[in-house]
Amino acid sequence: MSRIRAGELDVHVQRLTPEVPLDGDAPIVVCVHGLLTDSLASYYFTLGPAFAERGLDVLMYDLRGHGRTTRPESGYHLERFVDDLVAVLDASDVTRPVHVVGNSFGASVAFGLAAARPDRVASVVVIEGEPPTGEWTRHMADGLADAKTRLAIDEVIGWIADNHGAHTARLSKAANKILQTTTIAEDIPRSATIAADLSAVRCPVFAVFGGDSGLSAQVPHFETHLESCRCVVLPDQGHSVLVERTAEVIELIFGWVRDTARTQARVR
Amino acid sequence: MSIETTATDEATVLAQLSGMLRELLEEYGLDDAEITMDTTFHDDLELESVDLVALSGQLREHYGDRVNFATFIAERDLDEIIALTVGELVRYTVASLRATA
Repeated sequence: MSRIRAGELDVHVQRLTPEVPLDGDAPIVVCVHGLLTDSLASYYFTLGPAFAERGLDVLMYDLRGHGRTTRPESGYHLERFVDDLVAVLDASDVTRPVHVVGNSFGASVAFGLAAARPDRVASVVVIEGEPPTGEWTRHMADGLADAKTRLAIDEVIGWIADNHGAHTARLSKAANKILQTTTIAEDIPRSATIAADLSAVRCPVFAVFGGDSGLSAQVPHFETHLESCRCVVLPDQGHSVLVERTAEVIELIFGWVRDTARTQARVR
Repeated sequence: MSIETTATDEATVLAQLSGMLRELLEEYGLDDAEITMDTTFHDDLELESVDLVALSGQLREHYGDRVNFATFIAERDLDEIIALTVGELVRYTVASLRATA
């Protein structure tokens, strides 16, 4: 299996390298998935193969505690996820700045990397996510505490099975397991944060939101505070943008990475 | 009609895939599961999508570029992936190996 050693973890990684690199020098796209029920499969079954086909070098990995990566009992602060990402890049011999695509919580990791290690990041691509500000820690504290309480109740899992199907119920059980056996729900709200003015983020940012999810309310804040930012809101769409609007997301993000990489190559 | 004795017949590939699946299942303590052509990855083996990704890595190690699991998956949506049987993957693998033999 494709595992690499990154610090204390055995990390499950999948890399799809293009047969024909875009512009002769494939931009590297690193994909960071969301919390609890998510894994690198969300990318492997959506934009990963499509990007490689179009000439991008795609690196996907399972976050600590998720998928087939080691699950430590503690150490789930955002900065640990950022350190893991740097370790994955180092272990994969990726030295060039990368385009970091983050879905949901993955976007917070991507912003965290851009703030902590601007030298490693060419651009940040946000899919339905938030920068790790103080407000974000409060959202996460509420959401995680609520999930930890509810998912432990058998009737809730039964309700999920009846209303959302057996597959979702099984994912919810898996989410409950990581919530009950690790300190993730307590650690994430205590993460290091960046200032709400987003001044720590200097790289170009591309953000895709679902119009119905609530997170699209950040668009004016992004456009006011980020130095270089483009936002797209997909109407009539909730949080599951990556899975439910895959074709559009592929077009949008591929176009962004291609154009940003070409602009940066000219500047260098 | 002659009997297939090369590595490209379904029984041989099923045996090879079963070995890879047992390795994956070992981590969940389920390595004694019976695996046939009709076994489904999700309902019978309780594998999640990320386990199928890991399986693709093993396929690549075993068969090299001759079996492209990423392409196989890219042609299917999530519901079809969930309903996937071992037999479907065996037949795809056999077809890929024969095409590149």
